Amino acid sequence: MTALLIGALVVLAAVAIVALPFLREPAAREDVLDAPDEREQRRLAAAEERDRALAALKELEFDHRTGKISDDDYRAQVGPLRRRAAEALRALDAPRDRRPGKVASHG
Amino acid sequence: MIALSVAAVLAIFLLYTSIAGGGTPSLRPSQLDGHSGKVSLAGKVVGRPSGDAHAAGLHFVLRDVKGTTAIPVMYRGTVPDLFRTGRDVVVQGQLRNGVFVAVPGTLMTKCPSKYAPAKNS
Amino acid sequence: MPDLGRAALATALLLLVYAAVAGTFAAHRRRRRLAASAQNALLAAFGASAVAAATLLVALARHDFSFRYVADHTSRKLPLGYTLTAFWGGQEGSLLLWLVVLCGYGAAAVWTTRRVARDLLAWTVPVLGVIGTFFAFMLVFVASPFATQAAPADGAGLNPSLQNPYMAIHPPMLYLGYVGLTVPFAFAMGALLSRRTDERWIVATRRWTLAAWAFLGVGQLLGAHWAYVEIGWGGYYAWDPVENAALMPWLAATAFLHSVMIQEKRGMLKVWNMLLVILAFCLSLFGTFLTRSGIIQSIHSFTQSSIGPWFLGFICFVVCASLGLVFLRLPLLRSKTKLESLVSREATFLYNNLLLVALSLTILWGVVYPLVSELVRGETSTVSKPYYNFFLHTFGLPLLLLMGIGPLVAWRRASFRALGRTFLWPLAVAVVAGVILLAVGAGSSRVGVIAYTFSIFVLASIALEFVRGTRARKALGSESWPGAFTALVARNRRRYGGYVVHAAVVFLAIGVAGSSVYQTVREHRLHPGGAMTVAGTRLVFRGFEQHRAPNHQAIRAVVDVYRGGKRITTLLPGKNNYFAEQQVSNEVAIRHDYADASDLFLIADQVNRDGSVDLKALQKPLVNLIWFAGFVFVGGSLIALWPDAREERRLAARYAGALAEA
Repeated sequence: MTALLIGALVVLAAVAIVALPFLREPAAREDVLDAPDEREQRRLAAAEERDRALAALKELEFDHRTGKISDDDYRAQVGPLRRRAAEALRALDAPRDRRPGKVASHG
Repeated sequence: MIALSVAAVLAIFLLYTSIAGGGTPSLRPSQLDGHSGKVSLAGKVVGRPSGDAHAAGLHFVLRDVKGTTAIPVMYRGTVPDLFRTGRDVVVQGQLRNGVFVAVPGTLMTKCPSKYAPAKNS
Repeated sequence: MPDLGRAALATALLLLVYAAVAGTFAAHRRRRRLAASAQNALLAAFGASAVAAATLLVALARHDFSFRYVADHTSRKLPLGYTLTAFWGGQEGSLLLWLVVLCGYGAAAVWTTRRVARDLLAWTVPVLGVIGTFFAFMLVFVASPFATQAAPADGAGLNPSLQNPYMAIHPPMLYLGYVGLTVPFAFAMGALLSRRTDERWIVATRRWTLAAWAFLGVGQLLGAHWAYVEIGWGGYYAWDPVENAALMPWLAATAFLHSVMIQEKRGMLKVWNMLLVILAFCLSLFGTFLTRSGIIQSIHSFTQSSIGPWFLGFICFVVCASLGLVFLRLPLLRSKTKLESLVSREATFLYNNLLLVALSLTILWGVVYPLVSELVRGETSTVSKPYYNFFLHTFGLPLLLLMGIGPLVAWRRASFRALGRTFLWPLAVAVVAGVILLAVGAGSSRVGVIAYTFSIFVLASIALEFVRGTRARKALGSESWPGAFTALVARNRRRYGGYVVHAAVVFLAIGVAGSSVYQTVREHRLHPGGAMTVAGTRLVFRGFEQHRAPNHQAIRAVVDVYRGGKRITTLLPGKNNYFAEQQVSNEVAIRHDYADASDLFLIADQVNRDGSVDLKALQKPLVNLIWFAGFVFVGGSLIALWPDAREERRLAARYAGALAEA
C-alpha cells in the first residue's frame, strides 16, 4: 500500500516538475531562448582575448620576479604583450560605438 | 610536430613488439597440440589434485571448460585459495612430453560469476 | 515493493527520454520554457532514480529475498554494513548506482549553470538525457535489479573477499570518477551543438573535471590498497584489464586537465581538447563495459552477460556521433595561435599530453589485444607485465621528468640563460642524489635509479617554486614568511594545488619504484622452530594457532620477527575458512616500518598437515609512500578545487555582458 502511494507520488512529482515552467508562465509574452548572436560571439572572443593578454602580462611579471625570465627577455616580451592587451581592450570597446547615430572617436 | 611525435610513439611500439614478439597465446587443452613454446592454458580442474606445490610439485588435470580434452599439469609455486576441483583456472607454461609444465607462480583462478578480485601471482 | 522500484526506474527512463527529445527540440527551436522543462526533467530523473535506489536499499536491509538480487548477494548472517554495500556488489545494482550518480551529476550541473549559460545548457541537457536514457533503458529492460522470485529461506551470501570496509568506499569513489567524466563531455558536445566558439564550456566544467579526476585517482589507490592488504599476493597492481579500465580514462583525463589550461591561456588546441574529452569519456564507458561483459578474460569479470553487446553498441554510437560532430564543427574550432617555441611551458604541456595519451593507448592496445589477435589470427593471445612495464617506463619516466621541467619553464618562450639559472639547483640536487644512490647500491636496477633521480629533481623544482614564489610575494608587501606563503597559494590556487598534486605523483613514483624493483622475496618451508631471513630480518616459525569465529575458522602461523638479534614483533599470517560460502581467504600479516616507510609482508602460502608452513616473505622498501601520496593527492586537489571568489566574479562579468540572461 505504501509502495503504491510512494509510486504515485513519484509520478505526480515528476509530471509537476516537468510542467513547472509552463505552469508558471502559461502565456509567456516572449518564449525565445537567448543565444549569443555573431556580434555577441565576437565580443566574447574579444573579452577572452583581453583576459588572456592581461593574464599573460601578470604571468610575465611573476616569472620575471621569480627569476624564470632574464631581464633582457622580459624587456623584449613586455612591450608586445602590453600592445596586445591594449589592442584587446580597444577591440572590446569599439563595436559598442558603431551603433547608428554615434560617432566613433577612439584613437 | 604532432605528426612527428605520433611517429615516434609508433616507432617505439613497433620496436617493442618486434623484439618481445606478440603476446602469449591463450589456449584451451584441445588447442595445445602443435604449440611448443610458452603458452597460457585455461581450463577446468577435474579429478583430484595430488602432490605438493611447495615441494615436488602439484599434479592436477585441466579439461576444456566446454569439452572433453584433458591434459595433466605439473605446477610449483603459490596456489590460489580458490583453487579446487571444478574451478576454472589459468596457468602459463609449456607442453613437455605430454605434461604441461607450468611456470612457477602463474596459477590463477577465476572467481565464479561474482564481482570479486581473486588472484595470486 | 519491487513494483515501486520498477515504476521509479520506468519514470526515470521516461524523464530522461523527455530530457533528450524535448531538450533537442527546445534547443533547436529556441524555446525557453521547453528548455527549462527539459532541465527540470533531469532534476526529476535524479529523484526517481534515488527512489529506485532507496527501494533496493530497503529490500537489502530487510533481507527481502523475494528480490532475486538480494538473495544472490546477501545472507541473513551478513553484517548490516556489508548487506548494504552489496547494493553495488553485482551487475544490476552497480548499474543502478551508475544511473543514480549520473543523474546526480546531471542535476547538479544543471542546477549550478542554469542561470549563467542558458544556451549552452540547452544543448547540454539533451546530451545528458541521451546518455542517461541508455543506462535507464538497460535497467528497465535488460538488467533489472527488481527481478522477483519465490523467496528462499536464506540468501547466497557475499563473497568473503568483498566483506571488508573497502567495499563501502572503493566502488562509489570509482563511480564518482567514471561518471563524473560525463559532465565535461556533455558540456563539450553542448558547446559544439550550440555553435559557441568561446571557452564557456571549459569554465563551466573545470571543477567538475578536476573533482571527477580526483575521485577516480583516489578510487584506484583504494583498490590498490585493497589488493595489497586483503587479497594479499604481495602486490597492489596486476595490470588486470579491470584495473586498466580505470587507469586509461584517468590518464586521458590528466592530459585533458593540462591541455585545457593551454586553451585558456593561449586559445590553442581546441580540436585536441575536444578529442581528449571524447577519449576520456569513451574510455570510462569502455572501462565499465570491460568489467561487466566478460568479453576479456579477467579475474574481476562479472558473468558473461547479455549487456555486453548493448554497451558495445552504445560506445560505438557515442564515438561516431561525437567525432562526427567535431568534424562538422571543425571550422569553428580553428585557432590562430601557434606554438612559439619548442622550449616553453606550452610545449612541455604538449609533450606531457602526448606521453599520457600514448601510455593510455598502449594500455588500451594491451587490453584489447586478446580480442584483436583472435579476430586476426584465430588464436587468443595475451600480453602481460613485461609489456605494460616496458611502456610504463618508456612513457612514465619522461613524464616524471617533465613534471619537474614544466614549472621551471616560462610561457611562450623560455630563454636558455634563464633556464640555466632556474635549473641549476634542482639539477645539482638530483645529480648528488644520483651519485649517493649509486654508492649505496641502488644501481642494481637502472630503472630504479633513474626513477629516484628524476623524482628528486621534481621535488627540488617544486620546493624551489614555492620558495621563489613566496620570496617574490614577500618582496611586494610587508607580510611575514608564513603570510606571504599563504597569500601566494591563496592567490594561485590552481597552480600551487597542482604543484602539490605533482609532489603526490612523485611520492607515488618513489613508492612504486622502491617496492617493485628493490623488493626482496624469499620462500621457505618451515617446521616449528625453523627460521628464514629476508633483507636482514630473521623470521622464526613457532607453530600454528587456531580459533573459531561465528562465520569462519581461522588458522594462523605464529612467526617471531627478529632484527639484530632482538625480537621486534610477532606476526600472524594465515587463512580463514568460511563455512557458509565454502571458501578460504588469505590473511596476510604486514609490519610497517615507519622509519623507512617499508613493509615486511608475510603470506602463509600453504598450511601443511605435518605442522609445517610454506612461508613467503617480502620486504618492500618505501611502499607506504604510495598511500601517503594518496593523502597528498587529495590535499592538492582540494587546494586546486577551492573556489576563488575574485576569479568567479571576473568570469561572471566576462560572460554576462550585453546578453540579457536574467
